Amino acid sequence: MSRLVIVAILACSAGLAAAEETTVVEDTDASGTIADEIGDQGIGAAVGIAAGGRVTPGGLRIAGDYLYQLSSEDWFDGTASFTFGGGGAACYRDRMDLVVCNHGFTDGGAIEITAGVRRMFASQGKYRPFARAGVGVAIVRFGDDDVSGLAFPLHLGGGVRVAVDPRVAVVAQGEVVAGFGRFNRGLGWEPQLGFALTAGAEFRLP
Amino acid sequence: MRTAHAIGIVLVVIVGGLVACGGDRISREVGARCDRTADCADRCLTSSGDYPDGFCTIDCTDLRECPDDSECVAREGGVCLMFCRENADCEFLGPSWVCREEDLRGGTGKVGVCLGS
Repeated sequence: MSRLVIVAILACSAGLAAAEETTVVEDTDASGTIADEIGDQGIGAAVGIAAGGRVTPGGLRIAGDYLYQLSSEDWFDGTASFTFGGGGAACYRDRMDLVVCNHGFTDGGAIEITAGVRRMFASQGKYRPFARAGVGVAIVRFGDDDVSGLAFPLHLGGGVRVAVDPRVAVVAQGEVVAGFGRFNRGLGWEPQLGFALTAGAEFRLP
Repeated sequence: MRTAHAIGIVLVVIVGGLVACGGDRISREVGARCDRTADCADRCLTSSGDYPDGFCTIDCTDLRECPDDSECVAREGGVCLMFCRENADCEFLGPSWVCREEDLRGGTGKVGVCLGS
């Protein structure tokens, strides 16, 4: 049942967006609707930094986005991201013989896929702010300690989008990440906590 | 604008929390349990009467080479061991650890450090 509702929403959204797009062609810059500016589908790429610590990876963040319009204000936001951090071995056994990992803010690496929703707000001049929430699944690795895990982080953040062309926008965003991950070497379930700042470009799909 | 402020506050709280989580006397450098060198940042004093369950340490010639809460003593060629004033200061290492006086390395006199009983 719920699947039918989602399909219906997606179908309606796509239809609505397509309808809006046809009217937009005539008045592209006339401070039109959000959909006029963003389109019903888009892709993007961004680069930035992620900060973690302990068993949350951090480092250089490279991400790719896919946007799909769900309603007049909301877009599905699917992201694939790669985090490349440094750092050496930082795990040890405490006096109770429990493994503790104390990695730095920009240690480790991860590959993550996130599904979320981006809500666009009214533009303030050239700037269109947005909020974003999502849930991801990530493979996390700290090579020097031979620690690997599967993490389920929640993402909450926001940013601003500036259209520089009818089909291109520059986007800057920040997010906090919180969740849990299951790790090897006897670590078990560990919290995930960090943040990321990225900037990039988004392209409206025809 | 209100959304931006909220995001800023959340970021400050997260960063503060991460920084505040750092404090612990035991580390991979000094104090961790070990069986082999790879378990430590520098050196493992394997389990014995003096080092029950093993003890990660770093070689030193002077106090300045040891982390906070540790002293450079003239054992094993010069190693950093946990500073103590009384036996209770060593309880966090385990029940077999006590406070004993050892010669300082790179200085004169003795200092209390945690060792096995």
